[in-house]
Amino acid sequence: MAVGVAVVADAVVGAAVTEAARDRVGLGWRPELAATILTHLDRIDVVEVIADDYFDAGRGALRALRTLAVQVPVVLHGVSLGLASTLAVDRARLDAMARVVEWVAPDAWSEHLAFVRAGGREIGHLAAPPRTAATVEGTARNVAWARRVVGAAPLLENVATLIDPPGSDRDEPAWISEVAETAGVDVLLDLHNLYANAVNFGFDAREALARLPVERVSAVHLAGGRWIGRLLDDHLHDVPDAVFSLLTELASIAPRPLTVIIERDGNFPLPARLLAELDRAREALARGRTRQPCESAA
Amino acid sequence: MSSPRFEAFLAALYVDADTRQRFLADPHATARQAGLDASEVDALARIDRVGLELAARSFASKRAARSRPRLGRRLLDAGARLLRPGQVL
Repeated sequence: MAVGVAVVADAVVGAAVTEAARDRVGLGWRPELAATILTHLDRIDVVEVIADDYFDAGRGALRALRTLAVQVPVVLHGVSLGLASTLAVDRARLDAMARVVEWVAPDAWSEHLAFVRAGGREIGHLAAPPRTAATVEGTARNVAWARRVVGAAPLLENVATLIDPPGSDRDEPAWISEVAETAGVDVLLDLHNLYANAVNFGFDAREALARLPVERVSAVHLAGGRWIGRLLDDHLHDVPDAVFSLLTELASIAPRPLTVIIERDGNFPLPARLLAELDRAREALARGRTRQPCESAA
Repeated sequence: MSSPRFEAFLAALYVDADTRQRFLADPHATARQAGLDASEVDALARIDRVGLELAARSFASKRAARSRPRLGRRLLDAGARLLRPGQVL
C-alpha cells in the first residue's frame, strides 16, 4: 500500500516536473540589464524585447536583434498598437510590427488590452478601455487585422489601471474572458497588474484568477510597484510575495507551459538579486505544478 | 456604451489638464458639449475622480519618459557590432 501511494506520488511529481521543464523563466530586455542577461544565459530561458523600439529600425539594428535571438529565445512585446479599442488599429504600426516579427521570428508576440490614443491625442501609455461589448468587438476586429498583417495573432495582456475605466458594464475577468474567446487568442497574464487592480478596486485577486480563461494563458509577466495613494505598477521594485503566490496558484490550474518574464524598467538591483528573483519564479511555478491533478499536467 | 467619441473624450481627460479641470467643475455640461449621448454623460458623471487625477499624472510622467532617447536599441546595436553574424557567446 505504501509503495502504491509512493508510485502515485511519484507520478504526480513526475508529471509536474515534466510540465515545469517546459515552463520558461526570463527577463525583459533593457540596456542596463544587457550585461546581466548575456553573461547569465545559463539561468535565463527567454528574453522579451519591446518591438516598438525597432519599428523604425534599419537593417543593421534588426540584424543586431536577430543576433540576440541566436543567443537566447526571444519573444516580442508591443506597447503602442492600442488594440483594445473601438477605433481601428493604425496600419503603419501593424506593418512595422510585421517587419520586426519577420526579421526576428520570435516564439510569440504580444500586445496589451489597452487603448493608447484617440481623437488625435497620444495618451502616452496604456489606458484601460471601457469594459463593454463594443470594446470586445473592437478588440476582436483589431486582432483579426493584426493576425492578417503580422501573420500570427498576438497574445493579449491585461493592464494595470489607476482609474476604474469609466463606462464599463462588466468586471475585468468577464471582459478579458469575452475578449479572448471572441478574438480567439491566448492570454499573457500580468500577475502584478491583476494584483494591483485587486488592491486598487477591492476585489480578491485569487477569485479573479479563477474566473480568467487560464486554459488560454501561455505567458506571464511579473513586476513590482509602489504605493501612490493606489498601487502603481511601475516596474521599479521587486516582485511582491503576493504576486509569487499568484504564480503558484496559476501554475496549479494552468494546463499549458508558461513563459514567465520579470519586467524591470529601472532602479535595477544587482545581478545576483535579479537572478534570485528568477529562481524564486521557478520555485513558485514548480510548487504550483506539483499541486496539479495528473490529468491536467499530462 | 463606448464609442470612438467616448474614447476620444477619455483621451482628452487623461492628457489635457484644461479639459480635465472644466470637466471636473461641470461633468454633465462638458461631456454633453463633446457630443456624448445621455448614457455616456451619466457614466462620466460617476467617474472615479481620485483615479482620474492619479492616472493623468502617471500618463504625463510616461509621456515625458518616452521623449528621452531610446538607449536600449543603441546599446544592443553597439553590442551586436562586436559579434560576428551567427556567433554564439
